[in-house]
Amino acid sequence: MKRRDEVLVGLLLIVTVLVGVAGTVWLARGGLASGYPMYALFPWGAGLKNGQPVLLAGVNIGFVRQVELVPDGTLRVTLAVNDEYKIPEGTTAAVEPNGIFGDQLIALSPKLAVTTFMTEGDTIETGKGTPGTGEVLTKADSIAADVSAIASSVRAEFVTDGGIAELRKTTQELTALVTQLGTIAAEQSRELTLTQRQLRNTLAAVDSVVVDSTLKSFRASSANIAQLTSDLQQTRAQVSSILFKVDSGTGTAARLLNDPTIYARVDALLLKLDSLAADVKANPRRYINLRVF
Amino acid sequence: MLEATWGALNGATRNVLTGVGEYGYYLRDIIRAVREVDTWPRETIRQMRVIGVESVLLSVIVAAFLGGVTAFQTRFQLFPGVQVSAVGLITRQSIVLELGPLLTALVLTGRVGARMTAEIGTMRVTEQIDALETLAYDPVAFLTLPRVLAAIVMLPALTMLANVAALVSAWLTLLLATDVRTIDFVEGLRISFAPFQVFYSLIKATCFGAAISFVCSYQGYIAKAGAEGVGQATATAVVITSVAILTLDAIVAAVLAPFVQA
Repeated sequence: MKRRDEVLVGLLLIVTVLVGVAGTVWLARGGLASGYPMYALFPWGAGLKNGQPVLLAGVNIGFVRQVELVPDGTLRVTLAVNDEYKIPEGTTAAVEPNGIFGDQLIALSPKLAVTTFMTEGDTIETGKGTPGTGEVLTKADSIAADVSAIASSVRAEFVTDGGIAELRKTTQELTALVTQLGTIAAEQSRELTLTQRQLRNTLAAVDSVVVDSTLKSFRASSANIAQLTSDLQQTRAQVSSILFKVDSGTGTAARLLNDPTIYARVDALLLKLDSLAADVKANPRRYINLRVF
Repeated sequence: MLEATWGALNGATRNVLTGVGEYGYYLRDIIRAVREVDTWPRETIRQMRVIGVESVLLSVIVAAFLGGVTAFQTRFQLFPGVQVSAVGLITRQSIVLELGPLLTALVLTGRVGARMTAEIGTMRVTEQIDALETLAYDPVAFLTLPRVLAAIVMLPALTMLANVAALVSAWLTLLLATDVRTIDFVEGLRISFAPFQVFYSLIKATCFGAAISFVCSYQGYIAKAGAEGVGQATATAVVITSVAILTLDAIVAAVLAPFVQA
């Protein structure tokens, strides 16, 4: 009986230790043959932890085995990649959100049509990941702040400063104006109709014979005016010719107008005439000697 | 009135201090009993069978239901947008860090602790312990130390089995009753896992095992005469042990939780 106790207890303890160790190793390393290691470098703050999945073109091929903090600002991440998967040359690694609660995964993006593969222990080039939840939330916060500022401005403009009241007043005035315009338009329309009717009546009353006679008179008058215009043009040409002759200095009139000597003589003649007239007035008998008998 | 209140307060304080002191003496006796190497090793093996081997089935069944229900509830409490692998993560953390050791200890308090108190209490009231002393046996080395050692060793073992049983049950439940696939569950199990989380669970179980055996054996050791005394001691032992387990759970969590993060 005592021996049986020891066997049972020993068996239980051994099984427990084996189960515990195996389970721990399986969870931590993915089993004893847990694939081959690959490496990737990411900046600090990437949110990586042991056990996070590694996807190659969306297919789960392993998990994050270790995350080392390097003092130069990078995280050296050891990836445990399952043996049945190979990573093509040129593949890039990026940290992408896994769900909406901040968990991360490592997404490997392979190049198409590449037939060569990376070897165990290589470092995968770092690519650009999609924006994380934090970035999206930051952007949403920024948008919300902008919307809040706009709402505050709108509130200040339309509520605090009485913008809405003014808008209502403007609307009411606009409504009144439209009503007034409508009334005017109706009035105008009515008067236009009346005018149109009168015009029709007038046109109907006009005698076409009288109109024809009037038009003929207009034509005769136009012909007379045309003749008069022609005569005036001829007269103007003759006057122009005379003026040209006067201006050019030929002829008597031109000389009278243009020769200063003649002017002087005329002036002197006038003086003499004045003197003569004065003398005649003074001594009429000298010049006028009338004798009847 | 004031004098009566002061007297009651004084008496209660004295009782608490006396109880703590008696527990201290009892602990001293247990440590002294380690020297009695001819007495406790064989009985320890027997107690390991009683406490450990005979409790495996109960612990595993309780843990299996616990794991299945935890995983099932977790899956259906997730709202859209949360990755399904979170079920594995939450189930693992709940079971390994908290529910596995705690519920195993509480179950064993009823099964093992009550039995321990009743056995030792009966021996006390039937003067078998006095007889052992008369025969120059150290009763603590013969009755208490084996139980304490057995509980300290077997509680972690049972907790480990319970954790595994709960996780396996959780996986089967998710696979059969929900849309969670094995790869999602395993992915969640591995997220942020650190081996220290297993040690954390075992440390808790060790503390709980020590509390169960220490309190329950002591309550049996000081049981009053008569069947009623044994029953009273058993009830008191279960209550005190349960409270002690929850208190230790909080203390261990407060002390070690910062080291659990992967």
